[in-house]
Amino acid sequence: MTTPIATPNGSPLPPPVAHGVGNSIGTPVVAPVKSGLAQMLKGGVIMDVVNAEQARIAEEAGACAVMALERVPADIRAQGGSDPHMIKEIVNAVTIPVMAKVRIGHFVEAQILQAIGIDYIDESEVLTPADEEHHINKHAYKVPFVCGARNLGEALRRISEGAAFIRTKGEAGTGNVVEAVRHQRSVMSEIRKASVMNEEELYAYAKDIQAPFHLLKETARLKRLPVVNFAAGGIATPADAALMMQLGCDGVFVGSGIFHSGDPAKRAKAVVQAVTHYNNPKILAEISEDIGEAMVGLSIDDKLKGGRLANRGW
Amino acid sequence: MAMQQGPALDKDVVIAPVALQGAFAEHQVMLKKLSLKRKICVVLVRSEEDLAKCDALILPGGESTTIALLARLAGLLEPLREFTKIKPVWGTCAGAILLAQEIQNPKKGGQELLGGISITVERNGWGSQVESFEAALEVEGLRDADRAFHGVFIRAPVVCSLNAKPSEPPIHVIARISAGLLPKTQTVVPHDEDDTDPTDARTIVALRQGRHLLTTFHPELTADHRIHEYFVSECVLSTCA
Repeated sequence: MTTPIATPNGSPLPPPVAHGVGNSIGTPVVAPVKSGLAQMLKGGVIMDVVNAEQARIAEEAGACAVMALERVPADIRAQGGSDPHMIKEIVNAVTIPVMAKVRIGHFVEAQILQAIGIDYIDESEVLTPADEEHHINKHAYKVPFVCGARNLGEALRRISEGAAFIRTKGEAGTGNVVEAVRHQRSVMSEIRKASVMNEEELYAYAKDIQAPFHLLKETARLKRLPVVNFAAGGIATPADAALMMQLGCDGVFVGSGIFHSGDPAKRAKAVVQAVTHYNNPKILAEISEDIGEAMVGLSIDDKLKGGRLANRGW
Repeated sequence: MAMQQGPALDKDVVIAPVALQGAFAEHQVMLKKLSLKRKICVVLVRSEEDLAKCDALILPGGESTTIALLARLAGLLEPLREFTKIKPVWGTCAGAILLAQEIQNPKKGGQELLGGISITVERNGWGSQVESFEAALEVEGLRDADRAFHGVFIRAPVVCSLNAKPSEPPIHVIARISAGLLPKTQTVVPHDEDDTDPTDARTIVALRQGRHLLTTFHPELTADHRIHEYFVSECVLSTCA
């Protein structure tokens, strides 16, 4: 199927390097090599893995990157806390980029991961926060960061701190996509609202959503976030992945959804195909067939084991 | 290598980024901004049916293992190989890996390539993302040749050797980086620290073979259209390539 016009997620990011005659693009919001790697991940699936063997399964299934962690979110919920240390083994097992998580505000964990030579850091609400007020100053690192967001204000605050890549928070470890949908819909609806505002209204709106004005203005002009935006938190099926893509995401993270399912290799491959062919229901039907049991979805209420992770971060 | 063909003169030229995974939308936008004498039509390729309409392809940056797997699952791998044998193709970064004849440091168990350019490249030649860099490049044949082209290298592949046989079109190097930028972790080949070394294949960052173009960096991440313009006019439209 040919896509003649750019869909929301097909819409271009601003060229980060301003060259050429008559160029009106301003200063890039993050360094091109940092945001550029996220651009290379677009249309792809990033999978949570806990050891080298899972990392290899993910790579064979077409993951465009893996997230190395000690336990997938569903197990962190059950067991509490996590502190990754299999990362080096995973780095050696695969050729695709390897990401790893640090606690919100834990800048020393970030220094350590950068020293190991990790490709991307996720400052993640899935781990217990180390700082209840401050996020990491992500401009200070050579390695790029991805951060979770529930709405436009939160996304722009993270970008202002140097995040080169945004994802929805969703509700990790639940196999339930409802929160990821809520967060993506909030971001998109706020962008649409901002895109028709005049400058005075944008100043007021920036104050209202607690976002830096210049980033809000750039977002309104682009009609999309100024960095790559993935879905994360509760994606369990190929249809979930395609849903998030049609809602305007550039790609997806799948955490517990792969290795907590009946047939991880098959499901992983199906999710990868779903992200490429998200606009083609016929292909989606074919790839959703016979892929084993999905992870059991948890309902997200006050009784949720481990509590709501998405409320972490400020 | 079969005879490479240019597009028919009586219709719009269809140029398409392969849209399986990666930064294809960026290429699409760049192509649409070109102003050339011939009208070009830009589409995205995800199926064999899409491919049949195309006169030239761009293999974008992304993950080469992911793109190859998606191509196989979509039944596109062989059609893409056939296309590459006869029509113009440009590969950037991951696309450059796919377009190479041979690779070093593939994923465990090897990975599928399209071939098309007679070179060997090393995946992730510079190492991890912390080694990614930007450099001003002199690219031969571009409009405004005096103006440097801003090269963005992201987990880029390294060209290891040029292997063109006498029966194949010759390889023409169009850009090199200075030897000082080469990965430090590799075995050091004697070179002149101050300049681009004409004997070390690893300094090559852009090259042509027949109607194929290869760049290990990302012109689609800049606002400079000159390499896109070069590909369309020199590799796709030119009658003397």
